[in-house]
Amino acid sequence: MSTPMLLTLAHIVMALMMPILLVGVINRTKSWWAARKGPSLVQTFHDLRRLLQKRPVVSTTATPLFRLSAYVVLACALLALSFVPILGQFSPLSFDQDFVVMAYTLGLARIVLMLSAMDVGSPFEAMGAAREASFGAFAEPALFLLLGTLSAATGMGSFADMLGHLHNTTYYALIVLPLALALLILLQTEAARVPVDDPLTHLELTMIHEVMILDHSGPELAAMQYAAGLKMTIYAGLIATLLNPFAPLDAPLAAIVTSVLLMLVVAVVVGCFESLMARLPLRWVPRYVWLAGWLVALAALTVGVTGTSL
Amino acid sequence: MNQLLAAALTLILGALLAILPVKNTWRATFGLLSQTIATLLTWLAVVPVLAGGTAPYVELPWGYPIGAVHFRLDALGAFFLSWSLPMTLLGAVYAVGYLRQYFDTPRHVGVHFGLLNMISLSFLMVYTGEHAVTFLMGWEIAALSAWLLVIWDYTNQKVRFAGFNYLVSTHIGLIFLVAAFMILYTQTQSWYLDDFGDWMSANPSTIRNTVFLLLLTSFGLKSAFFPFHSWLPRAHAAAPANVSALMSGVIHKAGLFALLHFLLIQGKPDAWMGWALIAFSVTSAVIGGLYTVGQRDLKRMLGYSSTENVGIAGIGFGIGILGMAWGTPGLVALGFGGGMLHVLNHAFFKCQLFYAAGCVYQAKHGVDIERLGGLAKLMPITALSFLVGGVAIAALPPFNGFASEFLIYSGLFTDDAVGVWAKLALGGVATLLAFVGAVSALSITRAYGVIFMGHSRDDTLPPGHEPSGWMLAPLLVHTAGTVLLGLMPVLGLALVAAPTRLFLRSMPDALAQEAMQTLQTILTRVGLISITITGLIALLWALNCVLRRQSVASGPTWGCGYTAGSARVQYTGSSFSRDFSQHYDGVMVILKRQKAPLGYFPNDAYVITDCVDAVERRLYNVISQGDHSAGLISKLMHEDDPRPSFALGLAAIVVIAALVVLADGALP
Repeated sequence: MSTPMLLTLAHIVMALMMPILLVGVINRTKSWWAARKGPSLVQTFHDLRRLLQKRPVVSTTATPLFRLSAYVVLACALLALSFVPILGQFSPLSFDQDFVVMAYTLGLARIVLMLSAMDVGSPFEAMGAAREASFGAFAEPALFLLLGTLSAATGMGSFADMLGHLHNTTYYALIVLPLALALLILLQTEAARVPVDDPLTHLELTMIHEVMILDHSGPELAAMQYAAGLKMTIYAGLIATLLNPFAPLDAPLAAIVTSVLLMLVVAVVVGCFESLMARLPLRWVPRYVWLAGWLVALAALTVGVTGTSL
Repeated sequence: MNQLLAAALTLILGALLAILPVKNTWRATFGLLSQTIATLLTWLAVVPVLAGGTAPYVELPWGYPIGAVHFRLDALGAFFLSWSLPMTLLGAVYAVGYLRQYFDTPRHVGVHFGLLNMISLSFLMVYTGEHAVTFLMGWEIAALSAWLLVIWDYTNQKVRFAGFNYLVSTHIGLIFLVAAFMILYTQTQSWYLDDFGDWMSANPSTIRNTVFLLLLTSFGLKSAFFPFHSWLPRAHAAAPANVSALMSGVIHKAGLFALLHFLLIQGKPDAWMGWALIAFSVTSAVIGGLYTVGQRDLKRMLGYSSTENVGIAGIGFGIGILGMAWGTPGLVALGFGGGMLHVLNHAFFKCQLFYAAGCVYQAKHGVDIERLGGLAKLMPITALSFLVGGVAIAALPPFNGFASEFLIYSGLFTDDAVGVWAKLALGGVATLLAFVGAVSALSITRAYGVIFMGHSRDDTLPPGHEPSGWMLAPLLVHTAGTVLLGLMPVLGLALVAAPTRLFLRSMPDALAQEAMQTLQTILTRVGLISITITGLIALLWALNCVLRRQSVASGPTWGCGYTAGSARVQYTGSSFSRDFSQHYDGVMVILKRQKAPLGYFPNDAYVITDCVDAVERRLYNVISQGDHSAGLISKLMHEDDPRPSFALGLAAIVVIAALVVLADGALP
């Protein structure tokens, strides 16, 4: 089997596994901090399987878009993941400016998710949609600034090449830390984790992602939750690739193993955040997301200053 | 070229027939018929040019002092004509449905159709005119016809004010344009735009830079760039839906055409022009985007989104100018190709959204977002069209907005060897563009979610229903275009390729060819992506249908423990945008009037919020202040005393004489 094929296979396996495993590791970390035994690492898998067998209940207010939405969100998340290098300098679909496609595919998922929340006419779900929309408008620019910085630093066109090639540039040591931190903040924003959002809260007034899918049930809820896991995999994979020193085309096994381990470490870090701090008050969340933007701006400035002096 | 002359004559004849004293139905028929014939004749002339043929040229003799007038149909004009006339025709078709109620009244509907013919005529004049006078005449015909179209409902004072506001703004733009033309005329002693261009490419000097800035201001006003946009939301909210659609989607593209035309003829630009245009456009896109968030009136919101979208196209043109200045054909192709494709795409989805808004207006007699709701079930076709247009305007796949923005992003993330700071600056522009994308996703979710989803918020309004076929047909044609150009953006490239090549003509042939090839590759890829997304969604849906073992149950919306809610507890447009808008109170001025509930049994309480235009507000403040200070100055100067006036008059004569002497004598 040729290396690209092996890597594609590994990418697919990870796309299937990681959404479940990452959530499992986060929950295990949280229970470890709380001195509990905690659920099994693959508990999410059992949850999803249970949901798939359930009968969905759809609100009488909803239009057909409501039921379609879950599958649109899932399709977009799957497609987006295929552009993302999670194993190092490799992604199954790769071409110049593929990252724009990734971001905008996720954008389609976001708008459809928000519309499905508005569709049932519930004030709570619309509230979640409004928050998602405004935090998304803060997170998206940070991601694009990061992409612009990478593009300027490496002169490469595709996502995989930019992230992979960054290891060979003189900037790497200078900007790896702010970029990794920024990606972590983006992960917490986009995958609805503490301190931006709390997936386990029981009060609808304080939720963001969970409140938007309040009315989804059965297989549709399963699709939504799996898509959320895929989104987390995307960002965890990006952090892993940013830190992964191995080139997957030369040393595939080492790269895959390192990548998996790094992603699990990211999950542990996210779990530690969730155990050690409360979620931020909603009015502070935009500032927290802006922090990602400022970190990337710092990296961009570094690239500009050192780039001209080189 | 004969076809275009015939088309122009048909349009004039149609306009004359449309105002004959016959029945309104006949007048509309004459209007539509002449528009159809003119469209077909234009296509006959335009298609060979877009396919790469030579530019036809005609010279008509004219008396002193204008001299012979020239018309030339180059690829750029052909591109703009190829969709401007058909879309105006669709607008006229829509008008039949929209103005139906007036057909059996004494109201003269023919004027409306005659004016639409005049709009088409102005396109023919502006997009082919090579003579400053015919160009300005076309410009003015478009402005006046658009003004008269806007004030269709002239008995309403607000509508008259909006029309007047538009008329004044568009003529301020004209002043800048005339100023630029006068400067160019004094330099070239010619009225031909070619000669203007030749002079500009031969003399890259301060005068050329001044001319560039004057032209940019004028065309910016025409296309409603920020901060010259304040007339636009008013005019769009006041006009009939088809006129708003045409103004936003088609008529104001004349400003962008003129900008492109001058860029084309002025020779190699300087890099600062590109940066200036990019800065101007990004500001426009960001502020226009922010304003869409707060609007209560759907048509006002769509109006602001025009400011946003011309900004996006302008970013593309700016990249193209940078490419020309730096001599990188890749950037030229991506910038101008992407920008022009965005102009085309915007024409498709913006008209579509305005038509859908018009359908809502017809059914509910208003487009105040806060009073609507739950229309998707009553007007499914309109709702679907609005949704498709909305996803397209947020530049999301799989519809056409994504294709053109992807080209612009490709330009911004160029891998051509430009300096590291330039790259970072372009990355910064991409960041702002992403912000604009996210903001327009927000406002379109808000508009669609509040208007079409949930329950109706105000039962005093008439129930919604689908509009007549006359209104649905143009809406669906535009929707089909939006979808088709999204799934197969290479079709759009077929129109854009020829004008883009014009911008590449100073580059070596091989490189230009390669750049065009890249454009082709990228758009093919974008098409594949859009098809994949659509296919993947269909696949998942089919899987769900096949594998599902149980039927779907239906029940009430989950009420979070409270089940007695009324339709009024639903999120409104302003509550939806509040989370976002509170971070931008400098730009989005939200006026709030409220009466809080008092006592244990309050009976009357309300809160009204309205997002007003900060620029307009400040402008009016300055004007009223200016009025005041002018009065003060006049008092201080003792204006009733004639002596200062005589002295000033004398001083003015001396200054003018001095100018004439310094400028080497009187003008020829």
